[in-house]
Amino acid sequence: MSETVKNKIEEGSGTGPDSNTDKKSDVKIVAFLCNWCSYAGADAAGTSRLRQPENIRIIRLPCSGRVNPLFIIKAFNQGADGVLVSGCHPNDCHYSEGNFYARRRLEFLKEYLPFIGIDKRRFAYQWVSASEAQKWQNVVINFVKRIEDVQAK
Amino acid sequence: MTIENKLKEKIDEIMGDLELLVGYSPSALPLKVNPAFIEKKEETGSLVFNKMCINNLASYIYDLSKSVKGTIGIVLKPCDTRSIIQLASEELIDLKKIKMIVPGCSGVLDYKKIQKHVGGEKIISCKLDGESLAIETISQKHELKAGDFYADKCYWCQVHDNPAHFDEFIENDQKLDIEPREKYADIDAIEGKSIDEIMQYWDEQFSNCIRCYACRNICPLEICRDRCITNLDEPYWQSQRINTEEGKFFQLIRVLHLAGRCTECGECERACPRDIPLSKLMKKSAQITEKLFEYKTGEEPDKKPPFLTFKDVEKNIKEENLS
Repeated sequence: MSETVKNKIEEGSGTGPDSNTDKKSDVKIVAFLCNWCSYAGADAAGTSRLRQPENIRIIRLPCSGRVNPLFIIKAFNQGADGVLVSGCHPNDCHYSEGNFYARRRLEFLKEYLPFIGIDKRRFAYQWVSASEAQKWQNVVINFVKRIEDVQAK
Repeated sequence: MTIENKLKEKIDEIMGDLELLVGYSPSALPLKVNPAFIEKKEETGSLVFNKMCINNLASYIYDLSKSVKGTIGIVLKPCDTRSIIQLASEELIDLKKIKMIVPGCSGVLDYKKIQKHVGGEKIISCKLDGESLAIETISQKHELKAGDFYADKCYWCQVHDNPAHFDEFIENDQKLDIEPREKYADIDAIEGKSIDEIMQYWDEQFSNCIRCYACRNICPLEICRDRCITNLDEPYWQSQRINTEEGKFFQLIRVLHLAGRCTECGECERACPRDIPLSKLMKKSAQITEKLFEYKTGEEPDKKPPFLTFKDVEKNIKEENLS
């Protein structure tokens, strides 16, 4: 595919802010998404052509409660620059209480990370429902930007 | 009457009800004691209790409670009772089967600190008289002050003469008489560094880890035994390679397994042959659980540990919103 055609396709697609496509950063972010909400939300963001940075690698899980804090540590160990966990809003869990347990574990981990030398800002957990494609786009853009800021220092 | 004699008297009194008694007995090595497992009343004479009893005998209780049918008596320092209470709050042991015999504590000496002070030389004998500690190594004699060599946990101990839970409590005339220290001072010192310095500090420490698993095996609360995830092939969490990354990952497995459970007995650090400051890792996790969930480990047998329960609204958790 020629360069001009490629550019045209990129220009034509998407309605989101274009600033992210100008400079490509090489930060790698692992995202653990709940199958029932955030994964569907991210999918909806894609189908409705909301442009997002390409730094995120998504791993689909049945529930945010499935996230073992060790997943996150392992991701950092293997070279991830940031880790994002996203699940259903509290009280909306498909399994009724998985995200409540997740919230406790993830908040603990978040407080613990700086003590072992990992910047707190490199990790975030969010609640994004299946209908919140716009929110997902914002979360991704802001999180990638935050990781880039941390990296730049 | 010394606390040791009082303890023996008490044990003789109740020994008839016990199937097994776990206590301390003298060791051939100076500055150390051995665990003793006593079944007959005649054997109680060999028991000791003194400032060398740093070991936490609660480490044995999970396995013993599985294999012994009757009542188990166990000699515990007031701080060690917390390990038992924590196990009970997780319903891993039955408190009714266990008789906690708790002598008042006047502090325990950390032989690792003394060993370090005398330059790692082999210690032949030691004599403790009040606050003066006479140590004889193969080349010279040392006159030391005991006050500098207590175990770290003694400096911020709150329970030495008033344990929250016990079956038999024996008053100790000799009180803990040391200058108290701030519990989280060493944590604050680490957190005062920059994030890169912290990473470097821990990398240096974990590069020493040889993954002997002594810390895991001695822990009274790590009762996973053969189901430890470091031993699993599927998923393959941990490689057999010995390096800084793997050492760090192994310790973080322990931290997360013990989050909201560790009773800070310091056994992991004592057992560590490479002197990695493991109790700092545990202290930090205790600090966080206290702050987030207002939960103190090993004090409330009827309260669920923080990660086995939740609240609809967590008042101490401030969720961030990235959108």
